[in-house]
This record gives sequence, C-alpha cells and structure tokens, in this order.
Amino acid sequence: MIGLQFTFWDILRNLLSGAEWTIGLSLTAFLLGGSSGLLILFARISKNRLLQGFSRGYIEIFQGTPLLMQLFIVFFGLSLAGIDVSPWFAAAIGLTLFTSAYLAEIWRGCVESVPKGQWEASASLALNYFEQMRHVILPQAFRVAIPPTVGFSVQVVKGTSVASIIGFAELTKTGSMLANATFQPFMVFGLVALGYFLLCYPLSLYAKSLERKFHVTR
Amino acid sequence: MAYQFAFAPVFDNADLLLKGAGFTLGLTAIGATLGIGLGILGAISRAWKIAPFDRLFAVYVELIRNTPFLVQLFFIFFGLPSLGVQITEWSAAILAMVINLGAYSTEIIRAGIQATPRGQIEAAESLAFSRRQIFRHVVLVPALQRVWPALASQVIIVMLGSAVCSQIATEELTFAANFIQSRNFRAFETYFVTTGMYFLMALMLRQLLMWLGRRFIFRRAAR
Amino acid sequence: MNLTRRHLLHSLAAGCLALAIPSAHADVLANIKQAGVLRVAVPQDFPPFGSVGTDLKPRGYDIDTAALLAKDLGVRLELIPVTSTNRIPYLTTGKADLVISSLGRNPDREKVIDFSIAYAPFFNGVFGPAEAVIKGAPDLAGKTIGVTRGAVEDLELSKIAPPNTTIKRFEDNNSTISAYLSGQVNLVATGNVVAAAVNEMTKLRRLDPKFLIKNSPCSIGVAKGEAALLAKVNAAIGAAKKDGRLNEIANRWLHSPLPKDL
Repeated sequence: MIGLQFTFWDILRNLLSGAEWTIGLSLTAFLLGGSSGLLILFARISKNRLLQGFSRGYIEIFQGTPLLMQLFIVFFGLSLAGIDVSPWFAAAIGLTLFTSAYLAEIWRGCVESVPKGQWEASASLALNYFEQMRHVILPQAFRVAIPPTVGFSVQVVKGTSVASIIGFAELTKTGSMLANATFQPFMVFGLVALGYFLLCYPLSLYAKSLERKFHVTR
Repeated sequence: MAYQFAFAPVFDNADLLLKGAGFTLGLTAIGATLGIGLGILGAISRAWKIAPFDRLFAVYVELIRNTPFLVQLFFIFFGLPSLGVQITEWSAAILAMVINLGAYSTEIIRAGIQATPRGQIEAAESLAFSRRQIFRHVVLVPALQRVWPALASQVIIVMLGSAVCSQIATEELTFAANFIQSRNFRAFETYFVTTGMYFLMALMLRQLLMWLGRRFIFRRAAR
Repeated sequence: MNLTRRHLLHSLAAGCLALAIPSAHADVLANIKQAGVLRVAVPQDFPPFGSVGTDLKPRGYDIDTAALLAKDLGVRLELIPVTSTNRIPYLTTGKADLVISSLGRNPDREKVIDFSIAYAPFFNGVFGPAEAVIKGAPDLAGKTIGVTRGAVEDLELSKIAPPNTTIKRFEDNNSTISAYLSGQVNLVATGNVVAAAVNEMTKLRRLDPKFLIKNSPCSIGVAKGEAALLAKVNAAIGAAKKDGRLNEIANRWLHSPLPKDL
C-alpha cells in the first residue's frame, strides 16, 4: 500500500514538470521584474530628490536582505492584509521585486557609463530631458546593458529554487520530494543540479559571447 | 476578525535571534576567508594557465555558477553520505559557502589580474624585481584592490544566501526565526524582525569589509 | 497537480483576481459553502498520514479524512501541502480553512487555534538503529537526535531531554528522515506509524523503537472563533467514527482499527 516503486522514468517525468514551473516562474519574474526595474531605474536617475531617495531605499532593501525572507514576508504578509496568495503568486511577486532591484542597479551603471559629453552635446542641441534620454542616452546605455542583463537572468533562474521553501513545487521542491520518496538523494539532486545547469549554462555562454562582441566593437 | 500584530512574542526570543545572527556572521567569516583564498588559487591557475588546474577550475566555476546554492547544499548534505562521506550540518554549510564563493571570486579576481597593465610588469622587470615580487606587488595586490568592492558585494550575497542553510538544521539566523515561529506561531512578525536584522548585518558587513580593505590591502600596496 | 502551461496561466490569473478581492474573514463555514471549496492543509512528507504517490499527488490518512469532510460538506476539496513548521501559520493567516496534518493538541497551540475532537491515534517516540541502547529520556544524555521543527515530538523532547543532548531540528519530516537514513543523525524522534511506514518503504536503515515520548492523538485545526465550522467538523468526525468510515481509513493506512478510547 505504502511502498511505492519509482522508476527512473517516474523521477525524470516529475522533475521535468517541476522544471516547467521553474521556467515559468523565471520568465514571469524576469519580464515583470524587468518592467518594474525600468520604472525604478527612471526614478533612480531622475532629478527629483524624493523619487531618487525612494528608489535608492528600494534597491538597498532588496539587495540587503535574503530572498528567502522576502518570499516569507510576501507569502505570510499579504494574506494578513486579507489577500489570498498561493505559493505561486507569492513566489512570482517576491522574485519580481528582487529582480527589479538588481536590474535597476545594473542599468543605472550602464546609464552612468554614457560619457558626460553626450549629455552636454545633446543639451546644446536644445533637446529636453526626455528627448535626450530617448534619442541619445538610452540607446547607448542599452547596448552596454545587454550582456549583464542576460548574465543576471542566470541569477533569476537560480533564485527560483528558493521558492521551494514556501512550498512551490518547482524543480528543487520536486527534487526534495522525490529524494524522500525514493531514498536516492545523490541521484535525484544530481539530476536537479543537471537540470539547472542545462537551463543556466546556455544563458551564461550567451552573456559571455555578447560581452565579447560588444567589447570588440566598442 | 482582524489580525492583531504582536511583536512582543518575537522580542521575548531576542537571545535566540542574536545567537543565530552571531552564527550567521561566523559562518560568513569562515566561508569568506576560505572562499576568497580558493578564489585566489583559482584565479592564478586560470590567469597563468597552469595545467591541469586551469581546466579543473574552469569546469568548477561553470558548474557552481550555473546551479543554485540550495541545490549545492542539498547535494552535499544529503547526497554525499550515500558515497560514504559523513558531514555535519555545520561543515556542510561552510563547505557549500566556500565552494560557492570560491567559484565567484575566481572569476572576479581573474578579471582583476587580467586588468594589470603590461607596462607595469615591464617597468618592474626593468627595476630588477624578482618574479615573486612582481607577482605580489605588481599583480596580485593591485588586482585585489581593483576588485575589492565586487568581492565585498559577493561576500554579502553569500551571507544573505546562507539563510537557506536553515533547511539542513544549521542553527543560523533563519533557523532561529523558523524555530521561534514554530513556537509562537507569529510567522509574519518573526520574519519581519529577522529581515530587519539581515539588512543591518548587510550594511555593517559592507562597512567592515571596506575598512578591512583600506586597512590591509590598500595600505600595503601604497607602501 | 496538473502541471501544464495552461494551468500556470490559470493560477496566475486566479492570483491576480485574488488580489482584487480581499477575502472576508467573517464566517469561514459560510465562505466554504459559498465558494464550494474546502481548502485543507495536509502533510506530504509524513507517511502514512500524508506522502506522495509516483505522480507526486498527496495520499494518506489525513488526505482521506479531508476528502471525507469535503464530501460531508458537499464541496470540492483543495489540498494544500504544508510542512510541520508552517502548517499553523497557514491557518492563522487564512491560507487554509482547516489543518488536517497529524496535529496534536497542546496548550501553546490552543492559544492560537481551536482543535476538533481526535480523528487519529498518534504515539511518538524515539527511534534508532537496533544496537543503540536507549531506554528512556536520561539515556539521551550526550547523544544527538534529529526531530522535525515544531512537531509535537520536538516540543515534548525539548522538555524531557537532558541539557547536554544535542537536538537537531530539521525543516520538515523529509529532512529528518533523510538525515537518519543517510546516517547524519543516529537517533530520531517521530511517530510510531511514521517509523513503520518508512521501514516499509526502504531497507536503507531500520528505525527501531526505543521509547515512547507521548500519546498525542491528532485533531483537526480550525481558526480561532470559528464556532460554526468547528461544530460542523466535530459532528462529521463523530458520525464517521460511528458508521465505521474512519475505521476504514485507519485500516487502510495504519493497518489496524481505531483504538476504542479515541
């Protein structure tokens, strides 16, 4: 009744469906985190003191606390506010906040790497702030930003593993459930590690090749 | 029935939280020292292509940087015993932190070494510096100086990441938080306070690392 | 758990909806009937009360009990897998309507949640390899023992163990059992039926009973102040005890009938 035999195929099948959730969560966090990160970036580089302070605090808090704690707080905090959150929803929100803070900070560095002369030159052409951003600064910053952004996506994929602790059945959680049910932790966690490697390594390689490409043409 | 916030049950356990924070900092100190040491070795073998270590470090760096810390930890704690390697939760946590930080710092320090201007090495050679002197004073120390802020950030990331060590019963700060909330059932309040503690620890750790950098690495180079 | 992409989108949409409509905490029983869903927090790493099948779906004594209650209420059942550590926060923060997770009564817990009448027997004790000579709590002096954080055996063991005993508290039962099986700890405190179930599932390392810590029958956890729901649950469990439905579950998962005094 209780003794169940897991075949290798059972293990693999379950891990694959776990990986599907890892991918879904990573994509959600990356897309939502990217868009909100852009807003934070604009606040961070704006001339408004209040916006600057807010965005700086935001980045400091999310870079200065463990992702696990952020997830716990979103998970248990939102439901205290009367909002019913599933582990999936809490994980998506938590990772989005985390991603947006890091991306905003990465992108700020890219915007600041645009030489001061570019601002001055565009100002002398009587472009206003938004036109300067739109036509001069952002296109240049964008080029610099691509490699580290792709590189950071690896951190997002790996970050999703922490969502296992709030009970979201992604790759790591599926792995620990299987490790317990099959009593073969070495094999199961080996496969889990392999799964992450297959997801992350191509991204790392791509980031590296982009870096090389942009470095040469700069 | 509105939820009543109660922070008193959390502060009643302040001693447990402080002890946990102490262990987190201790883990980080050991992990950072050994991890950066490993990173220096890795960076040297990678930068000077010392066979076979350069290849080994290249594989190691990619393996670690492309898998999550939590999985590395589980693999070490639950997986290694099936190969006959017994390991306590403390050793497992430290080992995982060293291995993780070692991989990142290999890459960071290597970048620092590769940024050494050729002219400086040539100048040192023309001043009849020995190879050891050149390595130490012209290459390694300036390289560490260059990348120290990046290394400091990585150490902080490792400290924050050590929160997941609570999963294997390592009694650090997150463990203390989980322990307390399993007794007082005040999950939100407990995590809120703990998060604040991590934040302060991260701020303090950055100051400390920058001070250490100024005190030891930067001064020695200036001499 | 139907893990398809459509399901993923579906739950994302559901999550957004939930954000828009704050749930009222007024009367949980009325909410259950209105929604047509009973949300029950169950274990997934605690055989025979709750473990997973080859499809990773929860199964066990607690799951069958939850199904029985949902049937009595005439609503759909939604299972929420939880660990020993977070099962009570799930209830107090309104993430689940009931906790059926081999939960034992104790005074600390009674301050934050209400308990139904008992629905399952539970004896917890200390287990270890055959050669370990442990006859009672004093023999634990200087020993290391693994336990699941927040479980009844953790709370009890913390009281009775000699001060120089090292208690390693793991996040969930999975980790506690894995730590024993992989030889990371030499002793564990857990339920007698849990040990029996693990022995049945693997020959890796036997769990031999050493001594009994406490008899703590399992009750269903209900949020404080939900009198209507509590009465309904008690009535349903009482009826299931009388007509033999609960006994059937006990025979299926514990391989023995319910004790008379439960």
